[in-house]
Amino acid sequence: MSRGADLHRDEIPPGTLYLLILKTLARSGQMHGYEIANSVQRTSDDVLQVEEGSLYPALQRMLIKGWVTAKWGTTAGNRRRYYQLTPAGLKQPTLERTQFERVIGAITRVMEAV
Amino acid sequence: MNWLRELGRRIWMLAHRRQFDADLEEEMRLHVEIRQQEHLQGGMQEDDARAAARRRFGNVTALREMSHAAWGWEWLEHFAQDVRYSLRILRKSPGFATVAGLTLALGIGANTAIFSVIESVLLSPLPYPEPEQLIAMKQNDSLQNLIDIQRQTRTLSQGGGVNIEAMDYTGGTEAIQIPAAYVDAGLLETFRVPPMLGRIITPNEDVKGGPRNIVVSYHFWQDFLSSDPHALGKTIPLSGSDYTVIGVMPAGFALPREHADVFVSLWVAYPEAAPYRGVHFMRTYWRLKPGVTLSQAQGDISTIDRRLAEEYPDNERDRETLLVPLQQWLTGDVRPALLVLFGAVGVVLLIACANFAGLLMARAIARQQEFVIRASLGAGRSRLIRQALTESGILAIIGGAAGLLLAKWGTNVLVSIKPAELERFSGIQMDAHVFLFVFGISLLTGAVFGLLPAWSAARADAAESLKECARGSTGGRLSQVLRQLLVTAEFAFALILLVGAGLLIKGFSRLRSVNPGFNPTNLMTMHLQLPATRYAEIPPQTEFRRQVLARLNSLPGVDAGMVTDIPLGGNYVGHSFVIDGRPPVPVGAEPETQTLSVMGDYFRVMQIPIRTGRGFTTMDREGQPLVAVVNEEMVRKFFPHENPIGARIDWSRREGPHQWMTIVGVAQNVKHSGLNQPVDPAVYAPFSQSDEAWRRWMTLAIRTHGASAEFIEEVKKQVWSVDSQIPVSEVHTMEDLMGVSLAQQRFNMLLLGLFAALALILATVGIYGTMAYRVGQRMDEIGIHIALGAQRRDVLRLVLGDGAKLAFFGIAIGIAGAIVLSRVMKSLLFEVKPTDPATFSLVTILLAMVALVACYIPARRAMRCDPMVALRYE
Repeated sequence: MSRGADLHRDEIPPGTLYLLILKTLARSGQMHGYEIANSVQRTSDDVLQVEEGSLYPALQRMLIKGWVTAKWGTTAGNRRRYYQLTPAGLKQPTLERTQFERVIGAITRVMEAV
Repeated sequence: MNWLRELGRRIWMLAHRRQFDADLEEEMRLHVEIRQQEHLQGGMQEDDARAAARRRFGNVTALREMSHAAWGWEWLEHFAQDVRYSLRILRKSPGFATVAGLTLALGIGANTAIFSVIESVLLSPLPYPEPEQLIAMKQNDSLQNLIDIQRQTRTLSQGGGVNIEAMDYTGGTEAIQIPAAYVDAGLLETFRVPPMLGRIITPNEDVKGGPRNIVVSYHFWQDFLSSDPHALGKTIPLSGSDYTVIGVMPAGFALPREHADVFVSLWVAYPEAAPYRGVHFMRTYWRLKPGVTLSQAQGDISTIDRRLAEEYPDNERDRETLLVPLQQWLTGDVRPALLVLFGAVGVVLLIACANFAGLLMARAIARQQEFVIRASLGAGRSRLIRQALTESGILAIIGGAAGLLLAKWGTNVLVSIKPAELERFSGIQMDAHVFLFVFGISLLTGAVFGLLPAWSAARADAAESLKECARGSTGGRLSQVLRQLLVTAEFAFALILLVGAGLLIKGFSRLRSVNPGFNPTNLMTMHLQLPATRYAEIPPQTEFRRQVLARLNSLPGVDAGMVTDIPLGGNYVGHSFVIDGRPPVPVGAEPETQTLSVMGDYFRVMQIPIRTGRGFTTMDREGQPLVAVVNEEMVRKFFPHENPIGARIDWSRREGPHQWMTIVGVAQNVKHSGLNQPVDPAVYAPFSQSDEAWRRWMTLAIRTHGASAEFIEEVKKQVWSVDSQIPVSEVHTMEDLMGVSLAQQRFNMLLLGLFAALALILATVGIYGTMAYRVGQRMDEIGIHIALGAQRRDVLRLVLGDGAKLAFFGIAIGIAGAIVLSRVMKSLLFEVKPTDPATFSLVTILLAMVALVACYIPARRAMRCDPMVALRYE
């Protein structure tokens, strides 16, 4: 739940965080958490605001499911933990997407019926 | 497959959770740092930059917990926390933990041990195929009757008889006696256990003059045939004849009650006994035809009984054969004892559970405040309940583990002190199912009574409860009533058990103080059997006996006599007899008496007092007038109003003229068949005047101070110096025989006494716990009483009155219960009525005293109560 200065931004719909992370990683190979957060904001033209910390529970869940792997690396002398899609994770965007579209479809239908 | 891999990753994460936690921590910290750096570069102040970065990141603690939860091990970690917390709490109250754990351990251990024994004895199947078809006849029978029943029955498919006799095995270095089963061909067939080697005796061999064939037991095959796989066809020298081995029974085979090393045909090995219809010396076992009920078979047998009685009125007039299922027949004697013990064990379990429950409740009430505080600080109800469950679960597991050890040990102890009747149940072991069952019950008790307070704490209005707790409330009317009920019930149960134990102890002490009729101290007994081949006639038998006695009596400090069957040895010969000058009694209805042949100064050796007349002298020998000594019971029954001295008796149904024996003395009664058995009429007569050549056995009664192994060897040497082929067996001291006679009663008394003691301890702990707790709760009230001028006496009365009420109700209910329940013990009691007033009052006083002491300790604490301290809490 974001507060204060970020109130003008829309919160991301629930359940779409996986999709965003998966798409981001699919596009750019390996990234660390900070980069993922920035990337999600950038690609959604800063409309979708991720409460940055909530990336981490999601990433943990994805680690468990085996969609991503994590390993420490160094960039310009700084330690960073990089996430990378696994083959199973690569297949996931399509799966998550159909789910997402089903939800959006349902919402659209409700809106039209009113 | 996917979930399997996922589980693998989860477990891996669990194993490396420290690393993962550290990674996550660092990762999050770095993230916030980079963001802060970014803000600084954007021109913010250091503090603002950090705050903004933190705000944007979210609640770090919550996120860390959420990440943690993602791994799916939250429940395990909570569980581990609960366990750690519970262990800490239990360590902080070792008294409570010890008492609760011990309570459970005793309940679980004792129950499992006893029930394991009961299960193996009463419930486990007999080691024969189709055991439910097997029945025994309560009465022994003769071979001739057995053959008639086999021919005539329509309900029994198979049947056979057995008589155990000692045979002399002379194939080894020294002659020894082995128990031999004289059987008919039907016997081994009936049990349907196939021989391990060879075959069993067939009907066409089981005839007079048939081949001397023998089936041997596994033990005999092991010990005397050195487990020779080619033992079939070998010959064995037994009692002067050679027998050919035709079969070896398997290791697990034994007759239901009899112990036998070899099996021979009665017709072949003892043809003299086979034709007698009137001598009922064989135990018979039968098999019901499939589908036939016991009552149908009983009807069938009763018809055959009537037929035999009509046909042979001289011998079979009073036939009344009773069929009993084999299992019941085998366990018949111990059954009531085991059932009473089983009941006792159930009661102890109830008390233990009540105690455990009471302890948990008292403790939970005392900790109500803690629970309420935790609930108001946001602990979820499910978490509170889980924690309470963990705590009682841990207690139950500790108690259960101790109980398991106790059960194992207890079962072994029971097996080692089991009465002789249980001898054949060699495989008694602790039963795992029983343990799990009992353990489950105590877990359940722990769960229910551990849950109750957590549940009410979680539901309670926190503010109200906190206020109430601060005031030191007694913690809910319901649980208070429940606790009082538990204590009352414990007292009632304990009283019932104590009464049972008290009755048994009284019965046992009566039994112990029974005068056996002779002096059992410093008395040794040994059994000798003369082989029929060389001692068929009386003169050589008498010669042997005289020589043996003369040699033994020449040993220093030795006084020896001889009798056919020693008291408490388990055997005697019965005869029907007639009294000279009395109106004739119809054949088949003559009175019966034990007959004992003696030699030497038997009465003096045994120290059996002669009441009137005289004992035997060396002049009472062959060629002299026939004499007899009778016991007091004989006089009471058959010479109630006359002087028996000079009266003449003889065995009935003599072929030829009567050979009257003149009664020359009356000896004191001797408990021949067991200390708890009534005395039967008995007639003593000299061996040397007997005309019954089949009395080829004798028991030495030797009074000596040095009953050592060397002495026994010396006696054997003396016997063998007369005849080196005579086996000496059944060497006992008379005190051993007395012990055997007392063993069953001792077993019952020990066990029930143990349970009663247990129950008493548990009930004491129960009432003490309750009173101590109640006093603690009422300290403020007592303080006010004292502040208002109450004397110590008044306080004492207040507290004791409280406890006395509980104890009184418990005892009253217990007495009523004991009056009803002690009746089932009737058959276990020796000369004690199940409602023995002395036992009842003694037990009541004992229990009341215990209650008093248990209440007095907390009462003393109450009396010392400082009113200022108590009031300050208000």
